[in-house]
Amino acid sequence: MQWTDKYRPKTFKEIKGYAKEKKLIKQWIEEWKKGNPQQCLLLVGPPGVGKTTFAQIIGHEFGEYIELNASDKRSYDILMNTIGESTTTYSLFSDNPKLIILDEIDGITGNDDRGGTRAINKIIEESKHPIVMMANDLYSKRLTTIRKKVTVIKMGKVRSPSIRTNLESICKKEGIEADKETLNTLAKRSNGDMRSAINSLQALTEESRKLNPEDLNSISQKNDKATIFDAVTTVLKSKNYNHIRDALYLDEEPTLVMEYIAENIPREYKKPNEIKKAYDYISKADIFFGRTRQSRNYGYWKYATQFMGLGVALSKDEKYRKFTRVTYPQSFTKMAKYRGKRNLRDSIAEKMEAKMHVSLKTAYTMFPYFEIMFQDDKTAYEISSFLELDDKEIKRFRKKKIPKKFIEKMDKERAERRAKERAEMKNAFSSNLNSSEETVDFKTNDEESIIDFKSDDGLGLESDSVDFKSDDDEESIIDYKENKLESNLKKSKDFNSTNMDIKESKDSNATNLDIKESEVNNDSESNIKEDIKSTVENTKGKDSKSSKKYKENKGSKSDKEEKDKDNTVQTSLFSF
Amino acid sequence: MIGPWVEKYRPQTLDEVVGQEQIIKRLKNYKNEGNMPNLMFSGPAGVGKTTTALALAKSVLGEYWKQNFLELNASDARGIDTVRNNIKNFCRLKPVGAPFRIIFLDEVDNMTKDAQHALRREMEMYTKTASFILSCNYPSKIIDPIQSRCAIFRFAPVKSEDIKKRLAYICEQEGYNYTDEGLDTIVYFAEGDMRKSVNVLQSAATEGEEITEDSVYGVISKSKPQDVHNMITAAMTGDFMKSRDLLRETMILQGTSGEDMVTQIYQDVTKRVTDGKMDSSVYIQLVNDIAETDFRIREGSNPRIQLEALLAKFL
Repeated sequence: MQWTDKYRPKTFKEIKGYAKEKKLIKQWIEEWKKGNPQQCLLLVGPPGVGKTTFAQIIGHEFGEYIELNASDKRSYDILMNTIGESTTTYSLFSDNPKLIILDEIDGITGNDDRGGTRAINKIIEESKHPIVMMANDLYSKRLTTIRKKVTVIKMGKVRSPSIRTNLESICKKEGIEADKETLNTLAKRSNGDMRSAINSLQALTEESRKLNPEDLNSISQKNDKATIFDAVTTVLKSKNYNHIRDALYLDEEPTLVMEYIAENIPREYKKPNEIKKAYDYISKADIFFGRTRQSRNYGYWKYATQFMGLGVALSKDEKYRKFTRVTYPQSFTKMAKYRGKRNLRDSIAEKMEAKMHVSLKTAYTMFPYFEIMFQDDKTAYEISSFLELDDKEIKRFRKKKIPKKFIEKMDKERAERRAKERAEMKNAFSSNLNSSEETVDFKTNDEESIIDFKSDDGLGLESDSVDFKSDDDEESIIDYKENKLESNLKKSKDFNSTNMDIKESKDSNATNLDIKESEVNNDSESNIKEDIKSTVENTKGKDSKSSKKYKENKGSKSDKEEKDKDNTVQTSLFSF
Repeated sequence: MIGPWVEKYRPQTLDEVVGQEQIIKRLKNYKNEGNMPNLMFSGPAGVGKTTTALALAKSVLGEYWKQNFLELNASDARGIDTVRNNIKNFCRLKPVGAPFRIIFLDEVDNMTKDAQHALRREMEMYTKTASFILSCNYPSKIIDPIQSRCAIFRFAPVKSEDIKKRLAYICEQEGYNYTDEGLDTIVYFAEGDMRKSVNVLQSAATEGEEITEDSVYGVISKSKPQDVHNMITAAMTGDFMKSRDLLRETMILQGTSGEDMVTQIYQDVTKRVTDGKMDSSVYIQLVNDIAETDFRIREGSNPRIQLEALLAKFL
């Protein structure tokens, strides 16, 4: 069992010190029990000073309580569903108010807890039940609105003599040998955190039942979030090598610690020269982090740590005598804040990447130009239809939507142009077939082939071309673009001659299917047009041959359907 | 074909590629030889590395180039897994209708060292069936074993007259009038970057029927967000926090890379000294700092930290 739980005070009496706070809280409970609703309580203080202990004792006083802490997801919806409702209703069987405990409310952050602060505000206002909340940092941004509506009880760090006394009493109960001096050091090291002191004591003595002074070296100080703030404070405030070394001895990603230090340099240092020097050390530290990453030589880390610690510390002329609140790196906050805008930017850039052979990085550099080009309706229309941008993405570059009328006009023009090209192509085909008997039949063929181009393009014609090349170079070159049916016909032929080929083509068909989804979107109109054009040219050149082919094709159509069921399925899949 | 002019007027054949005559001449031979060593194209942005690679693939692979060509650029996931799976699978297949297959990896300098090492094996294993074309801005960021497996082609910035000729051609095709000064201004501003030139040209074209010096300057000043200028001003007047905020906003919101940011800062400072708004002795000290930052960005792990440190030097 954890000693922190075992020796956790169960009643107000067991709590030593905190007389004023105890009195306030007791009074608060009394009022509630009399039926006078009170403001919420907010217990504020660093970790390990007894906030949770207080809350639990209060809970016992009321008998019934709900608790939500940082390990629970606390978005608006979740908060409202779990406790929002119960706050406005009474229990059926008792008139007793039931207590709601919200732990670590300054830890409501990020996407998962969206709207959490709003929910808490609402709950505070509407609740008919007592609420106790806990937080580490009263001045956290998240508490600005809450702060005004609650009764704040500040709990400072526990003084080290109190910690020592408590440790002594635990040692006595557990039968542990420990001298006063060592316990004193342990108490001091815990930096006002009772929980951490007890945890350390348990870790060091549970086996041996004896506390030796040298044991203290084997554990580092408490490793929680508070220390990164402490580390930053030490670096910015101190000039003492040993202090700084100890402060930076923490269990955090060193680049994160660097971000923290960098963030707070201009908040503490005020002379330009100091900022300049300090930031130069940060820059040097970053170089060594880069070298560490590139060479996988973690030996470089120690230099980085020295630069960002002692280097920054010694950059100040003299220590500042003022209080600076250590701030969370604002660049991270910004990243989160602009997430929506960045996603929009990235979705556009990804479209550019697919169509324009550029990386995202290069795509970004073109944004300012697009902003200018998009002022013109026609250019905006052309580029956005080329990139297939949706309305939201278009709005990234211009304030107004492209006028609907204009789009309709352009779409119409485009459709006309397409129809015209299609008609031309048909003409080209039918002129090739001037000797043909059944034009009607051919036309249906033609129709199909157009659809097939669409699907062919970009999907990769590996399957077809395998056969063509291995089989018959000359013909295949004309064929492969003309008609999918032809390829099927060919495959059925190959099937007779070489089993190998058909197998291979099937295999690659299967892989093609996978690719299809991603690539089918990329089928730009322009490409189709190009293909059609080239086909027309091809057919023109090989008049007689292609017409012969079509006849063949017609003849073997039924044949093909039977033999190549797989492939027909494939074709229809591709077509749409 | 519609779409932005940079794409519409991207050269489709090697002959059309502008300004890299020596390189193109050598590349053309590969078509006749029927094989091709692994190539590395290095050079600044917008000089035609990607265009040349695409055109080369079309020329060497012939009609079936699409089936035998794999393009992966920096934003595709290119960790070790990609190298091990996608590239390997592509290399394994027999080339179809072409003498071999081509894998084009754009911006290889952004690949991790580990992925580069994985790549090095692939380059050896499939020499019979596949050739690689790698492109990068800085060959120094590419591990030696890969460099030694490639024929390296250094693309120079495109010459002014070549850019100008191309711009004039586009204007004629699109039916825009232009003045010599207008095109000269674009060329001067673009510093050998064809992509930038064409983008400026098309932007200027949306401003009016004629491409003039004024319309080009209009575009250049608009396309250059004031952010960088304001950021430097803030730093120089001692408001470091504001300056740092602007930097972060620009980088996060617009996705500006560290390298681009350094260039923009350099350009802004240079403009200040040419306009007589900055003392040249201050200027040379700043250039010193900017140059050092440029180098450190490549060495370091976080470009933003390096740029923040640079801003501190402006105080």
